[in-house]
Amino acid sequence: MINQQQAAAPVLAVSQLNVQYGAFQAVKDVSFEVHAGEIFGLLGPNGAGKTSTLSAIEGLLHPASGSITVAGFDIREQPLHARANMGVQLQATSFQPELTISEIIRLFASIYGVNLKDAAVKQKLAEINLEEASGKKISQLSGGQQQRVSLVISTIHNPQLVLLDEPTTGLDPQSRRQLWERMEHFRNNGHAVLLTTHSMEEAEAVCDRIAIIDHGRIIAIDTPEALIAQHRDDPAVLSVVRKGKVTLEDVFIGLTGTAVRS
Amino acid sequence: MAALLRADFTTLWRNRRSFGLVLLVSLVILVSWKGLVDKLGGVFVLSSCITIGLTSIGLMGYSNSIARDRDRGVFQRLRVGPVSAWTIMMSRLIVQIAMIVLMTVLVFVVGYFVDHIYISPVGYIAGLLMAMLGGFVYLGMGQAIVGLIKNPDTVNSTTRLVYFIFIMIGMFGEFGVLGKKIGLLVIWSPYGVVRKVLAASLDPASWNMDTTWALLAAAGYTIVFVVLGVKWFKWENK
Ligand SMILES: Nc1ncnc2c1ncn2[C@@H]1O[C@H](COP(=O)(O)OP(=O)(O)OP(=O)(O)O)[C@@H](O)[C@H]1O
Ligand SMILES: [Mg+2]
Repeated sequence: MINQQQAAAPVLAVSQLNVQYGAFQAVKDVSFEVHAGEIFGLLGPNGAGKTSTLSAIEGLLHPASGSITVAGFDIREQPLHARANMGVQLQATSFQPELTISEIIRLFASIYGVNLKDAAVKQKLAEINLEEASGKKISQLSGGQQQRVSLVISTIHNPQLVLLDEPTTGLDPQSRRQLWERMEHFRNNGHAVLLTTHSMEEAEAVCDRIAIIDHGRIIAIDTPEALIAQHRDDPAVLSVVRKGKVTLEDVFIGLTGTAVRS
Repeated sequence: MAALLRADFTTLWRNRRSFGLVLLVSLVILVSWKGLVDKLGGVFVLSSCITIGLTSIGLMGYSNSIARDRDRGVFQRLRVGPVSAWTIMMSRLIVQIAMIVLMTVLVFVVGYFVDHIYISPVGYIAGLLMAMLGGFVYLGMGQAIVGLIKNPDTVNSTTRLVYFIFIMIGMFGEFGVLGKKIGLLVIWSPYGVVRKVLAASLDPASWNMDTTWALLAAAGYTIVFVVLGVKWFKWENK
């Protein structure tokens, strides 16, 4: 249960985060918070540092500096507690190719301390319309189906924080809508969701707040509506507007420039 | 841990063909040396075959499975869950130790029924225990290789090459075919010391000062390989 006190403190707090790969600094002084009952979107061009930020939160890499707490647990000091409170969908799906889908679900349930009976595994698969896939290997599923398995696993322990790295890339419109609904359902039950996306439509449709990150730095952070309102008269934004109406995408391109990233 | 172990054993079972090949080599050598048992001595034959089996488990089995799963991102997905890195590795190692036990028992059984090599019960037990310990020399070596090399294909070809060298050493080196200097090198190589210690375990009465030195050398190799392997090892595939 999420009580009042926890609801007041942020579920995820990232402060002054710096991530370094050798001499290259991928994330620079990034700070933000995600609260219970909130869907937070991290937007940015390719190579902006979204996955690197998530990796630091997940504890996959050691940041050069900065602090991160998940559900009150410092990710460096109490990593197992912090990770027990988050569900993760990595950008690249990566499960043991030798195991069947139901074996994978059962494995991760146990890792997160959830005891799933056969019927419960079936139920989970039914939720994502993959009942027939239970005996299949992960490589026998389509990309979108793999994403759905990955999503089920990321929420199997009902975590306070869900981290989704480009969860809707490669999904068909139906599955995408279904995913949005699941995220909203999650938010409405008091969980916090952090997702990255390249889709401005998605950011506008589901995110309560978004941060735009470019070259490792957060350059704007607010609700989608407020960002549009703030920047609707910027010359850089106006110059990329199509058909007269300022969209989040126009603001995004206005702020991050038109150059395609390497 | 139990769930992880079950998954790792299931993975091993589903890959049983390639792991079967790993075990096959030492058994093939064991059977083909049948005619040489009288000349070389049963203990020498058994200890050689077990050592070759240990090298194939550590070099071919262990390091390749680690390199492959790292490349696929399997480890990354596990690591974002509430399991420590040590648990993930420990589970992998237990699977390898089970392989070592299986391989050693197979060598004993085939040696008994095909080659008619009979040794004392104490010898069998001591040999089995020593095989588990000796296995760490090559598991450590496999760890050092996956620590040094990221690409699973390069890991695969490197371990094949090292493995081939070990087999050549095992088949010919100790007979002095390659000259005295090389013979000495072979005796104190990671191959030679493990074989010597194994041979003495199978026939405990023959344990002497030289064996103790070999045991220390094997421990030294293990420590160096494991320290380097853990130090160099990176979980991510980039
Ligand atoms: N392991 C690594 N070693 C060196 N550089 C890296 C590594 N991982 C990422 N980078 C670099 O860091 C920068 C940020 O990468 P990151 O993966 O965080 O971007 P991203 O915002 O997730 O991009 P995308 O939208 O393409 O997924 C990129 O320039 C990338 O080349
Ligand atoms: Mg990314």
